[in-house]
Amino acid sequence: MLWLFRFFTASIGRKFLMALTGLGFILFLGTHLAGNLLLYRGGNAFNAYAARLHAFGGLLMVFEFGLLVFALIHVLFGLWLFYENYRARPIGYRVRKSGPGQTWGSATMPYTGLLILAFVVYHLIRFHFADKTSVTIYEIVKNAFQSPLEIAIYMVAMAAVALHISHGFWSAFQTLGANHPKYMPLIRGLGLIFSVVVGIGFGFIPIYMTLV
Amino acid sequence: MELNAKIPEGPLPEKWDRHRFELKLVSPANKRKFDIIVVGTGLAGGSASAALAELGYNVKTFCIQDSPRRAHSIAAQGGINAAKNYTNEGDSIWRLFYDTIKGGDFRSREGNVYRLAQISNAIIDQCVAQGVPFAREYGGLLANRSFGGAQVSRTFYARGQTGQQLLLGAYSAMMRQVAAGRVRLFPRREMLDLVVIDGRARGIVTRNLLTGAMETHSAHAVVLATGGYGNVYFLSTNAMSSNVTAAYRCYKRGACFANPCFTQIHPTCIPVHGTYQSKLTLMSESLRNDGRVWVPVKAGDKRRPEEIPEAERDYYLERRYPSFGNLVPRDVASRAAKAQCDAGKGVGETGLAVYLDFRDAIRRDGRAVIEKKYGNLFQMYEKITGEDPYKTPMMIYPAVHYTMGGLWVDYNLMSTLDGLFVLGEANFSDHGANRLGASALMQGLADGYFIIPYTIGGYFAGTPLETVDGTHPAFGEAIESSRKRIDTLLAVDGRRTVDDFHRELGRIMWDYCGMSRNNEGLEKAKGMIRALRAEFRENVRVPGENETFNQSLERAGRVADFLEFAELMVTDALARQESCGGHFNEAYQTPDHEALRDDAHFCHVAAWEYQGEDREPVLHKEPLVFENVTLAQRSYK
Amino acid sequence: MKKSIHVTLKVWRQASGGDKGRFETYPLKDISTDMSFLEMLDVLNEALTHSGKEPIAFDHDCREGICGMCGAVVNGRPHGPEKGTTLCQLHMRHFSDGDVLVIEPWRSRAFPVIKDLVVDRGALDQIIIAGGYISVNTGSAPEANSIPVPQGAADKAMDAAACIGCGACVAACPNGSAMLFAAAKVSHLALLPQGRPEAARRAIRMVEKMDGLGFGNCSNITECEAECPKEISIAHIARLNREFFRAQLASDEK
Repeated sequence: MLWLFRFFTASIGRKFLMALTGLGFILFLGTHLAGNLLLYRGGNAFNAYAARLHAFGGLLMVFEFGLLVFALIHVLFGLWLFYENYRARPIGYRVRKSGPGQTWGSATMPYTGLLILAFVVYHLIRFHFADKTSVTIYEIVKNAFQSPLEIAIYMVAMAAVALHISHGFWSAFQTLGANHPKYMPLIRGLGLIFSVVVGIGFGFIPIYMTLV
Repeated sequence: MELNAKIPEGPLPEKWDRHRFELKLVSPANKRKFDIIVVGTGLAGGSASAALAELGYNVKTFCIQDSPRRAHSIAAQGGINAAKNYTNEGDSIWRLFYDTIKGGDFRSREGNVYRLAQISNAIIDQCVAQGVPFAREYGGLLANRSFGGAQVSRTFYARGQTGQQLLLGAYSAMMRQVAAGRVRLFPRREMLDLVVIDGRARGIVTRNLLTGAMETHSAHAVVLATGGYGNVYFLSTNAMSSNVTAAYRCYKRGACFANPCFTQIHPTCIPVHGTYQSKLTLMSESLRNDGRVWVPVKAGDKRRPEEIPEAERDYYLERRYPSFGNLVPRDVASRAAKAQCDAGKGVGETGLAVYLDFRDAIRRDGRAVIEKKYGNLFQMYEKITGEDPYKTPMMIYPAVHYTMGGLWVDYNLMSTLDGLFVLGEANFSDHGANRLGASALMQGLADGYFIIPYTIGGYFAGTPLETVDGTHPAFGEAIESSRKRIDTLLAVDGRRTVDDFHRELGRIMWDYCGMSRNNEGLEKAKGMIRALRAEFRENVRVPGENETFNQSLERAGRVADFLEFAELMVTDALARQESCGGHFNEAYQTPDHEALRDDAHFCHVAAWEYQGEDREPVLHKEPLVFENVTLAQRSYK
Repeated sequence: MKKSIHVTLKVWRQASGGDKGRFETYPLKDISTDMSFLEMLDVLNEALTHSGKEPIAFDHDCREGICGMCGAVVNGRPHGPEKGTTLCQLHMRHFSDGDVLVIEPWRSRAFPVIKDLVVDRGALDQIIIAGGYISVNTGSAPEANSIPVPQGAADKAMDAAACIGCGACVAACPNGSAMLFAAAKVSHLALLPQGRPEAARRAIRMVEKMDGLGFGNCSNITECEAECPKEISIAHIARLNREFFRAQLASDEK
C-alpha cells in the first residue's frame, strides 16, 4: 500500500484530498442552508426540522463523524500545504503586485480558512452543543441574534465563507482535472453564484431574526 | 598539410552506405571504455550527446548557458527540410541535394550534401517519435510549407518555433541519458582551450562561469558543436553569448578554419534603432510574399511614408528583377537594400532601412487575410518598434544571421586534428557559400543523430589511444595559458569597456567585410582590426575578478578572440578573388551586378592553418570536384 | 518620434549566494523609449563599469523571447507589466518619465540567487530529467506519417510545448509552485500518441521530483498563467492532475 501513501503525500494527492473534502463541505453547506431557510417559516417549522433530523439517530452520528473526519483532513492538509508554500519563498518580494490572475478569494484562502475554522468551533459550541433541555433550538438562535456582537461575528464569518467558496468551488473542479474551455466558464459562474447564495442566504438570517 | 576529405569512392547515392560498411565498429561491450566530450548543446551537440550515450559511450556535455535547453538553435523560426515528398510534387533526395548545392553557389562538396539529403527523412521520423509537435493536416498527417530557394513544399514546421521544438526534442533525448547516467552535464562552463596530446585531441579546459575555477576534462575524442561566429559583427541575430572562442582555440591548436569569409546576411530584420542596440531580430522572409520593398526616389526624403505619392516611390527590387520581384534570394535582396541606403535613400531615423509595405496587399486581400498569414509577425514587429505595420510600412534592413564558414572537417566530420570532430554551424561542411532556408536545422541534427555516431566509432576502432588523464603535462600547460589570458585581461584596467571595443569591431566588419566587399576596404579593415586589437590589449577595462560570476570577463575573453578572428575573415575574403553566395567582391560582378564566380581559380575550400601569434596563416586548398552537377550562373532577372 | 525618459532603478544587488544582499538605487537619464529593458540595463552597466563599479549581473541570451534565459521581477511583476512578454522583449516605451522601477530576482527556495538578478534554475532541468521525454533511441523511429495525430491534439501539445523554461510561473506564484512548468511538459507528451506508453510513469516521477525540490504547492491561484510569457493555460495543470490520478489509481506503476 506504499503507493497509496505516496499518492496522498504527493502535492497533487493532497490537493486531491482538499478538493474532495471541499466539495463535501459545499454539499453540506447546500443542505445546511436549505434547512436553515426554514427559519423564515417560523419557530415551529424550524424546530420540527431539527427534531426530524435528530430522529435519524445513529445515522446522523455517522454523518457527523464523517464531517469531522473531512474537517480534520481539510484543515490539517490545508495547514501542511500552507506551511510548505510559506517555506517555498524564504525571501519575499519588496514590491508584490498581483497580476491579473489572483482574486481576493484565492489570495486569502488560508486566512479565510482559519477564520472559518474558528467560527465553526464557536458555532458548534453556541448552537450544536448548547444545552437544549429547557429551550428549543429556534429560541437559541433567536436569542443569539439579539446581540450585535454575535450578529457581527456571524456576518463576518459568512463573508469569509463566501470568499472561500468563490475560489474553492471552481478550484476543486480544476484540481480534480475538470477544466475544459467548453465548460470551465460554467463552473466558474456556478461557483460565484453559489458563493453569493451561501453568503447572502446565511448572512441574512441574523438580520431577519432581529426583525421577528 | 594535405587536406584529405575522405569522400568514399563510388556513385553518389551509394557513398554513405558504402562508407558505413567500411567504417570499423566498436563492439557494444567496448563502447563504455570510451569517453567523449561534447561542447555545446544546440541541435548538433544535444543530438550528438543523446545518440552517443544511447550507444553506450561515456559522454560529458558542456554548455555555456544555465541549461542545455537554451542554446541558440532554439531561435530558428521557419522549419526543417526533408525529402519526404509527402506533397507529391516530385521531390526527391536528388532534388534536395541539387537545390542545396546550387543554393550554396557550388562551393560545397557533392558527397557531403548528398548524404545530408539522404539523412533528412530519418530526422523527421526521429523527431516525430520524440514528440516534436509538428504542424499537421486535419487528417492527422504531417503538413508542409514552401520555403526560399525551392520549388517544392518540403519544409516541416512547428508554428514559428521549429528550432525550439527540435531543440527541446534533442534536449529531452539527452536528459533521458542524463537520467540513465550516461551523460554528465556541465552547464555554465566555457571551453577555453583544447588539449592536444601526440597530435590528437584528448581533452579540454573549461572555466566554471560561477566560480571562475579552471577545470580539465580528458576524453578519447572531443566533439565541438559550438555554433557560428556571426557575433564578430557585434550586431547580429545570434544570441548574446554566441562566440567563436571554442572554435578559435581549436584553430590555434592546429585545426584548420575553412571559408571564414562566408557569412549569410538576412534581408528582413528589424533595423538598428539606436547606438545602444544590442542585437537584431529576424522577421521571417515569408513576409516578402506579400510585402513590397521600396525607398523614396529622392535621396534624403524625410516625409512620412504615407505622404510619399506613388510616383515618388522606387520599388527597386521589382524594377531591377522583374521576374522574381520582391522574392529574389537573400543575398541579392540584402545587397540591393544596402545599395539604396548607400545612395542616401535609406529611411527611418538612421537612414539604414527600407520599407516593406503591405498597403497594396491589404487593399487587395483585406486585412483579415493578411492578419491570418502574418499576424504573429506583425505583432512581434509592433512589440519591438511600437509601430503598427497594418497602418504604416514596416522598416527592414539586412542583418548578419548565419556563418557558412567554420572548422574544416572531412567526410567523417573530423577536423585536421585527429580526434576533434566538429558538428553543426561550427563546421564548414554543407552549405557552401550560401545556406538555404530551413537547412541549418537539418544539418545540425544530421551531424548529431546520424553521422557522428558512426564515424566516431570508426575513429576509435582504427586508432590506438593510450590512456591519459588530467595529470598529463599538456593539461597543465593549457590551464596555465588560459589563466594567463584571463589575468592579462583583468590586469589592463584601461578606459574603454569590452562592449565598446566589440561595437567598434562590429562596425569595421560590417562596413568592410559585410554584404559587399572590395580589396581596398578589406586591406583597410585589416589595419583597423590590428590597431583596435592593440588598443584593446592596452586600454580595455574588465571589472571584477576571475573567482566570481563575472559576465564582463566572459565577454572580454570572447571579444579578444573575435579581434583576432576578424583578421582571419578579412584575410580569407582577400584571398578569394571572386564573388560567390554571401561573399560579394565588388570587382567581380556581372554587368547586372550579380555575383560572378571564378570556377577556374576558386572552386575550392579555403582552409587556413594557424602559424603563431601575429604571423600570416597558411592557406590550404581543397579542390571541389563536381561529377554529378553542372556548374551554372544563378540569375533572377 | 524620438522620446527619452528618466527613470530610477532600485536593483537587488547580491555579490554571491552567501551574501545578504540589498537594494541599490540608480538614477538613469535620457533612456530612449525604443530601448529594450535589457538594453537599458546594458547602459547602466556601461556607466557602472566606467565609474569603477561592478556591473549588475543578469541572465540573458537570445534577446528575442525564446531562450528563456532572462527574467526579473519588475515592480512586482515577473518579466514586467506587459502581457505575454519576456523581459528582453519589454520596451521602455511602456514606462513613463519619472518611474521608479524595483528590480528583483526570481524568489524561490528552489532557485537560489547566484549573483544580483541571476538565479539557479537547475531544478527545472531536474524535473525534466525525472521523465520529461519519450524513450526512443536514435534510429528506431517508425515512418513519421505512420502515427497520425489529430490536428487538435497536435495544436494543444504545441501550446504546452511552447514553454521556454524561464521560471516566471514559479516567480509569479504566491506559493512558489512549479506546477505550470511540470504540467506543460507532462501535458505536451500526454496529448501525443507517442507519449502515451510512458505517460503514467512520467506523471508520477515528474511530480515526485518536483515535490522534492522545494517548490510550493499549486492552489489554482492562476498567477502563473497570467504572467507566463508564452501564455500557457492552467488547463494543462488540470490535465497533469488527471494524468497523475490515472497513473496512481489505474496503472500498474507504483
